[in-house]
Amino acid sequence: MTAVAGDLTSRNPRKITRMEQFFFWSLAAGLLLAATAAVTLRNPVSNAVALVAALVFQAALFVTLEATFLAAVQVIVYAGAVMVLFLFVIMLLDVKAEARRPIPWSKVLAVLAGGTAVVVGVPRLVAAFPAAREPLHWSAKAAPFGARELGTLLFSSYAPLFLTTGVLLLVATIGVVVLCRRDPES
Amino acid sequence: MMGAEITLGHYLALSGLLFLVGLAGVLLRRSLLIVMMSLELLLNAANLALVAAARFQGIPDPQVAVFFVITVAAAEVAVGLAILVAIFRLKKTTSAEDFATLKF
Amino acid sequence: MIAYAPYLILLLPLFSAVLIRLVLHPFPRIAVPVSVAACLGSFLGSLVLLNGGTPSGGMAAPAVTWIELGGLKAGFALMADPLARLMATLVTGVALLVHIYSLGYMAKDPCRSRFFAELSLFVFSMLGIVFADNLVSMFIFWELVGLSSYLLIGFWHSRPAAGAAANKAFLVNRIGDFGFLLGILGAWSIFGTISFADLSGRVATEAPFWAVTATGLGLLCGCLGKSAQLPLHVWLPDSMEGPTPVSSLLHAATMVVAGVYMLIRVLPILELSALTMNTIAWIGALMTLLPALVACQQNDIKRILAYSTLSEIAYMVMAIGLGIPGPGMYHLVTHAFFKCLLFLAAGSVIHGCHGEQDIWKMGGLRQRMPFTFLVTWVGTLALAAIPPVSGFWSKDAIFAATHDRPGLAACSMLAGFFTSFFMLRMILVAFEGKPRSENARHAHEGPPVMVVPMLILAVFAVFGGMLPVAEFLGMKPEQSHQAWTLWLSLILAAAGFLPAYFLYRDAPKDPLQVPLLQGKFYVDEFYQRVLVATQDGLGRLADAFEGWVVRGLLVRGSGVVARSAGQGLRLIQCGQVQFYAAVFILGTLGLVAWLLWKGAA
Repeated sequence: MTAVAGDLTSRNPRKITRMEQFFFWSLAAGLLLAATAAVTLRNPVSNAVALVAALVFQAALFVTLEATFLAAVQVIVYAGAVMVLFLFVIMLLDVKAEARRPIPWSKVLAVLAGGTAVVVGVPRLVAAFPAAREPLHWSAKAAPFGARELGTLLFSSYAPLFLTTGVLLLVATIGVVVLCRRDPES
Repeated sequence: MMGAEITLGHYLALSGLLFLVGLAGVLLRRSLLIVMMSLELLLNAANLALVAAARFQGIPDPQVAVFFVITVAAAEVAVGLAILVAIFRLKKTTSAEDFATLKF
Repeated sequence: MIAYAPYLILLLPLFSAVLIRLVLHPFPRIAVPVSVAACLGSFLGSLVLLNGGTPSGGMAAPAVTWIELGGLKAGFALMADPLARLMATLVTGVALLVHIYSLGYMAKDPCRSRFFAELSLFVFSMLGIVFADNLVSMFIFWELVGLSSYLLIGFWHSRPAAGAAANKAFLVNRIGDFGFLLGILGAWSIFGTISFADLSGRVATEAPFWAVTATGLGLLCGCLGKSAQLPLHVWLPDSMEGPTPVSSLLHAATMVVAGVYMLIRVLPILELSALTMNTIAWIGALMTLLPALVACQQNDIKRILAYSTLSEIAYMVMAIGLGIPGPGMYHLVTHAFFKCLLFLAAGSVIHGCHGEQDIWKMGGLRQRMPFTFLVTWVGTLALAAIPPVSGFWSKDAIFAATHDRPGLAACSMLAGFFTSFFMLRMILVAFEGKPRSENARHAHEGPPVMVVPMLILAVFAVFGGMLPVAEFLGMKPEQSHQAWTLWLSLILAAAGFLPAYFLYRDAPKDPLQVPLLQGKFYVDEFYQRVLVATQDGLGRLADAFEGWVVRGLLVRGSGVVARSAGQGLRLIQCGQVQFYAAVFILGTLGLVAWLLWKGAA
């Protein structure tokens, strides 16, 4: 994919820019739509499916940011493994769609505050870094991050952390088994 | 399309909006299952910001961080769902409002 | 060899006390002779010591360093200078006679083992004071003497009055001891030493007047407690609840003069401050007169003598206040003889009258107890300072020193007048006339062990005036003999007999009734009121403080604060995890907003 991108850049920068805009806006709209659906729908299975869609949109956004390996991981781990886990649990618990209930004021307040903070804060955050207003062109900065580069980093400077993550996963696995084990007596 | 070029600010704004959606889910939904899904959205918002920053800076290290975040998120989901299952076995419900045993 | 004699003298009575208390207690037939033998041994040792050694320089027995704290060095050593040797001989001699007398007096008491053990303990403690070479070890024996006094006053502890009197003596002495302790600390901080030998060498000091005065007054306070002087005298009359030999030995002849002995020891300090010396002299002068007045209206034979003891000790205190320790010590010695004699005679009367102590229930004892009558007269003449009996010589030496102090002279000579008055009153009421009670009718003379000590003491009371006490001590003052003091005091003392003779010659009951004197100037009542009021006030204050501040404000207040804070805080605890998340996010947002705003500004 990187090779193709490189070729594209060299061919027609103006066309590329328009492509970038198209992809970003459409993917962003899809992501927010899917996320909103994942949060608001009342049937848990619909939520899960909407979340899968959101995760795939995000993976696509990763591609526009040239993080191809992470995009693959996003799809495989998140959309594949994690969401399957969610679906399993939904099926296992046989969760029904919940009834509507009034929402406490404190939560509404928190969401409103969070919205205000995002709307007000992000422009300020960007303003704090003037360089953030520079356009991000496809492969404008040379270093491409493929699986090879990330793999090298993971197994060299981040090796201890990587191993620790392995231990974490093992512990989590054991923990899950312990948590879900039915008491033999009951 | 909108005439402006796509900048880091766009990605950060998107990340913020995604976070807001996730936050609304965490706070407003009662089903703990949906709350956990919303938590995934929060994590993804952070991931998006990290990857955008990595792209902007031209360094791979934030991507490594995102990798770890995904890993930890997987573990978290596994454990969280296990706890959810255990709670459901105990209380026969997954509604957050039914768990107020910490009160007093 | 002779250097160890003080140790022998000191430890023999202690050995006796411990042995009796631990082993011989159930066998009074053995225990009593052991105590007497120990006392005899001490007395013989004292006699040897009295003649050995040089008359001027002290003889320091081997010393052990005992406390060493920075500059404070307290050794345990025995100092056997002439003063200590004289005093030791006096103490052991009188103690021996009282021991022998007690053989008869206490013969029927089932607890006489304990009595003799405590008597031995007293002799040990008293000798410790006598031989102490520094203030700290003196203080320790001082306290031991207080303890043995407490034990002996309360010897008949089944009598509530005895227990109360013992407690009173102990507590009042504590006040004096506190002052004494302050005086010791003062002496140490001013002079840097507490050893008597060093103190007498360091009289020239740069210390300010007030510090020296305070130290002197602190030491005086110790004397006031032990020697029962104003205002701490209230315990001595009550201490007559103890057995009469105890009254005779402790509360007349030896223990109560320990304060005087101590003042002589620390005289170099006292002399640094004229104010201290004047205070001592005036306390002495007042205390000669006031108890003599009180004694005129007392009916208990022992209390009469107790008040006369207060008066006589005051003469010694006054002598020290006048800066003439030689006559003071001289009077101490003669007083020990005649006052011990008077008490033993009183004990003999009480013993003969089966425990009767009220002189108005006696009468006619002259025929039944002629010997006691005789020795009482001897003691009375000595006490009233009628020549040529011993008391005359020693008192005259003190009177002579008051020739240029008219106030002191007036007080002390008037006291002589009243002394003669109440002594003759006692003799007339108790020994003359007709028996006024069944007990007096069956009175009888005591056994020989009681008679012989009285006889010996009577001999000393008559001829003790010839003892060259002041010369032995090297304290002979320059002769300031004034004829008018001699004649005036003599006339006043003799004049005291006349009204007593006419008033009490054939009185069936007391023709004089002076409530003020019968009430002993109401000092006890005053103390009772003031102390009770003060303690009640303090108690209420403490109770109010405890109730309002400690229990109310601190305990309940802190509880209320904690509980109300908890009540307030638990309102925000709804148990809803999402509420907590909302709060958490609001907090985070607030923090981020603050950081952004700050960064922008």
